[in-house]
Amino acid sequence: MSYILNRILSMLLTLFLISAITFAVTNILPGDVAMMIMGTQSNPEALAGLRESLGLNDPLLVQYGRWIGGMLTGDWGTSLVFKEPIAPLLLQKMTASGLIVLFSMSIALICAVPLGVWAAVHPNRWQDTASSSAALLGVSLPDFFWGIMMILLFARGLHWLPSSGFVDPGEDLLLAFRHALLPSLALGLGLMAHLTRMTRATMTGILNQEFIRVARAKGLGERTVVWRYGLANAVGPVMTVAGLQVGYLFGSIIVIESLFNYTGMGWLTYQALLNRDIPLIQASVFVIAAVVMLANLIVDLLYVLVDPRIRLS
Amino acid sequence: MKLPASFRTSKGMLGIGLVLAILLIAVIAPVLIPADWATKMDMRARLSPPTWAHPLGTDQLGRDLMYRVLLGARTSIAIASAAVLMSIVIGLPLGLISGYAGRTTDNVLMRLVDTLLAFPALLLALTISAVLGPNLQNTIIAIGIAFTPFLARIIRGEALRVAQMPYVEAARTAGNSDARLIVRHILPNIMPAVIVQSTISLAFAILAEAGLSFLGLGTQPPDASWGLMIQASRDYLDRAPWTALVPGAAVALTVLGLNMFGDALRDALDPRSKGAS
Amino acid sequence: MLDDVRPLVAIDNLRVEFQGEEGPIVGVEDVSFTIAPGETLCVVGESGSGKSVTSLSLMRLVEFGGGRITGGRLEFASAAGVIDVAGADDATMRAIRGKEIGMIFQEPMTSLNPVFTIERQMTDGLRMHMGLSGEAARARALELLKQVRIPEPERRLKQYPHELSGGMRQRVVIAMAMACKPRLLIADEPTTALDVTIQAEILSLINRLKRETGMAVLFITHDMAVVAQVADRVVVMCQGKLVEEGPVEQIFASPKQDYTRALLAAVPRLGEMRGKSAPEPMRLIGDEADVRAPLLPQAPEPLLEVSNLTTRYPVKGGLIRRTVANVHAVEDVSFTINKGETLALVGESGCGKSSCGRSILRLSEPTSGTVLLDKCDIIGLSARDLRRAWRDMQMVFQDPFASLNPYMRLREQVAEPLRNFGLAKGSEVEDRVAGLFDRVHLPRSFMSRFPHELSGGQRQRVAIARALAVRPKLIIADESVSALDVSVQAQVLNLMMELQAELGVSFLFISHDMAVVERVSHRVGVMYRGRLVEIGSRAQVFETPRHEYTRTLLSAVPIADPTRRTIGDDLNFRPIPSPVFPLGHEPGPSEYDEVAPGHLVLKDTMT
Repeated sequence: MSYILNRILSMLLTLFLISAITFAVTNILPGDVAMMIMGTQSNPEALAGLRESLGLNDPLLVQYGRWIGGMLTGDWGTSLVFKEPIAPLLLQKMTASGLIVLFSMSIALICAVPLGVWAAVHPNRWQDTASSSAALLGVSLPDFFWGIMMILLFARGLHWLPSSGFVDPGEDLLLAFRHALLPSLALGLGLMAHLTRMTRATMTGILNQEFIRVARAKGLGERTVVWRYGLANAVGPVMTVAGLQVGYLFGSIIVIESLFNYTGMGWLTYQALLNRDIPLIQASVFVIAAVVMLANLIVDLLYVLVDPRIRLS
Repeated sequence: MKLPASFRTSKGMLGIGLVLAILLIAVIAPVLIPADWATKMDMRARLSPPTWAHPLGTDQLGRDLMYRVLLGARTSIAIASAAVLMSIVIGLPLGLISGYAGRTTDNVLMRLVDTLLAFPALLLALTISAVLGPNLQNTIIAIGIAFTPFLARIIRGEALRVAQMPYVEAARTAGNSDARLIVRHILPNIMPAVIVQSTISLAFAILAEAGLSFLGLGTQPPDASWGLMIQASRDYLDRAPWTALVPGAAVALTVLGLNMFGDALRDALDPRSKGAS
Repeated sequence: MLDDVRPLVAIDNLRVEFQGEEGPIVGVEDVSFTIAPGETLCVVGESGSGKSVTSLSLMRLVEFGGGRITGGRLEFASAAGVIDVAGADDATMRAIRGKEIGMIFQEPMTSLNPVFTIERQMTDGLRMHMGLSGEAARARALELLKQVRIPEPERRLKQYPHELSGGMRQRVVIAMAMACKPRLLIADEPTTALDVTIQAEILSLINRLKRETGMAVLFITHDMAVVAQVADRVVVMCQGKLVEEGPVEQIFASPKQDYTRALLAAVPRLGEMRGKSAPEPMRLIGDEADVRAPLLPQAPEPLLEVSNLTTRYPVKGGLIRRTVANVHAVEDVSFTINKGETLALVGESGCGKSSCGRSILRLSEPTSGTVLLDKCDIIGLSARDLRRAWRDMQMVFQDPFASLNPYMRLREQVAEPLRNFGLAKGSEVEDRVAGLFDRVHLPRSFMSRFPHELSGGQRQRVAIARALAVRPKLIIADESVSALDVSVQAQVLNLMMELQAELGVSFLFISHDMAVVERVSHRVGVMYRGRLVEIGSRAQVFETPRHEYTRTLLSAVPIADPTRRTIGDDLNFRPIPSPVFPLGHEPGPSEYDEVAPGHLVLKDTMT
């Protein structure tokens, strides 16, 4: 129990640091919110007045305090580009992104684990070569390149799936699924390749351990030895790596969502960055980092379930 | 000198071949090919498919894709190498100090690194690039900073492992000062891990540069980079898919080569990973 | 019965190959021997002898390690008739493994699957081989745990491996191997990773099970003392070949082959130093050069004086890595080492003997106490002065593969202390290094080599040369010969005694091996739970041990003499309690009774 409590406390501390870093980085931006609102050609006196009323002349620490206070009380400010309150906007976009992130992670895990195990069981044979080569190719191509290939093939060539846009699952579940499929695949392929390599390396290590030899010496069949005795030990490490890859996914969605015009967090962040929408940049960068951290926390807590050694220490 | 066994596999050889070929292109292509060949617009052959005149086709302005991709190699490689170098220059002392000093220094530094690791590297790079203003130099800084925490973490782990090896303790009792201990005994023993990680980071940096440029927050025209070429191709995918395929393949081959090279290097330098990949 | 006549196992001309980088490598060739039902056959050999490969071949488990049986027959008399294991199909092999042949391995810490309960791991074999239901399998598992004398068996079934001690895990592994009442138990170095008292327990357990069930045992080991204690017959192997075979008494009393004779000569036997006052080098076959025994100077003059040394390691926990408890590694330890003398510290793993050595050098910072080296207070020194003080005391570490920097030439590694302490300059350095290589009997051509080009014993010689470079007054040898094969171990031990005789250097010899300690030391200290429980001259501690723990330890040591079997009864020693204590816990001081001049025994035994 104290392990879980420790992890949560540690997360809160990191969250605080994340907010500080986010705020610091975005405050190096040339130009400020007042300039963004009134435009560069505006009257300097009016600008100064707006600055004063927005509190931009206060010390940075005071501004940070005000910002973090707003974040804590649910007042996340208004986006300069979208002219909307930021909190509901982020919630909506995060749902859209959560859909493709979960989707791609599932695709990747379902394919990567069997492939990786398969390669580890046949080291240096054709099964290993085939799966390892495919995985190597997978990690070597930029994911937006996969995206372009899929647009060319499934959207333009075969006309199976739409190549752009986002549909709310609440409106039309099937259509939403069709729109989410290509971005998820584009995200999932690289991830799958990475996880295949990881699973293979982990399983290779496990299969060389003494308890595997003991299991064989008991007369257990290879299937039981590999898929029960071996895999049960790989679940934790593979899960951890998958959790770390959530961060990678939230980086990739910026590119992929822009490519597919899928209006989620990545797309939103990109728009905010392009237009220097400072309140929106701050909020979305903070939210992404927080979600990534939360995902890792969940993995850490799940680890307790699959590995008894952590449960009791 | 005989190559280590891990390089004498087909994968290792292919990795060496690809890396050497691309380095060669990055170095000599700008010497052999006049710069204006890549910017010369052939208005009668816009979006031309591969022909004898243009072996890899042309883009929307009628510029030859083969020359552009060959000349783009230098930009992509240079940005990636400089960024990785930067992350090593910052990350190596950080990781070494953290791993060697331990205690409070280590706690503070690693808490910071862990926080930075919560930001997706690409998001961090994009944000930094947007903040500083996108250009070649800032792309390097953005990727370099984004990759530093990861590298620092790995180096710290290695330093921690090496610092408690008996040979380091023996060297300590042999009268070496802290500085000599780090330089002569710890550093050489973590270098294999640093080299392997740099190769892998280089592959990721190429991908990151392509991603940044693709989003318009990396290399800016008129510099030619592979990511920029892919970005330009987006509007012509139906009519001229080769405009995306050619730079995409260039990125893929480079990263593939680096990854294969890195795998072989890891197997050769790290006895612990023998047989594990 | 025919069974009594026909062998259980008949290995004929076994040949095993491994796929190497440049073609096949022979692991084992021309190996033939038999095992009769109910007998214990020991296969003994040093590393690389092929003893494990042979046992794995019998289970056809070599294939999973990249090996292949390329010749010979491995006949096993199974319940269904004689089977040639070398040619049997997978289904037949699975039916034999775990059912007719049980196997236990070296590392009890890694032999059990960490994420499954003991119950699950014990019952899956039973269900498969015996077709037992879940309930019946559980009952049988419980019965087996009782048979191997595990306390609280019901609770153990629900536990995970990491909750059990090493000795208990090895008992579980043995119970698992015994599950289907096999005709043959293969034990591959089953006690090598265990402390001596636990080793004695496991050996006696295997002996008892063998007696009770009538199964045969194929016992693989490198330890001649273990062989002497358990074997009926012995097979000696060397470099993949069978050297000699015979009944255990014959092998020990009148070995026929030179290799066996050399092997036996290198094994120190507990008790053979009885009545001798000084350490004595071993008489090695093929190395007849007379090594001088280290004699003590007439008037003892103290060199190292350790008083009330206490070392605790903090256990960190919580959000800001606070100290939540302390490991009491060394607790109020005092002793003196005289010039030219060897004091041995013995004890089992975790007793604090290594921490004690490290604390003296301040490689681990002691919590309190004083250490005087030639009247110089080591504990009070600044970092700079401490570095200077290391000129007088050096350490030789356990693992020869980790104690030399892999990226530095050996010349450089030995020259470093000379340069750092300003003991030699320019070409003088080269001469001094060459002299040191001569000193430890290494060819000078090795000076330009890297560590990986040397064997373990050679590396340990380099480590000794490096320690000698500064002409130290004291060398702390922390398990310095434990990782070496027995013949190499004897050579290194002789080298250390020779250096003492010629240079008058003092040794703090830290070891878990009582027989080795008896051979090399003038005085002996026994450590238990961080405290020195008994200290005295070698004769006092070995011949008239007074502390209960010292007696336990001595009774558990296997003796390399088949006529003096000490293993046999069912042993069950008290497990060593945890040395972790809550913050602020202050145990009382160590108080001693002087039972004879210089022979001190800790009061309040076993608390």
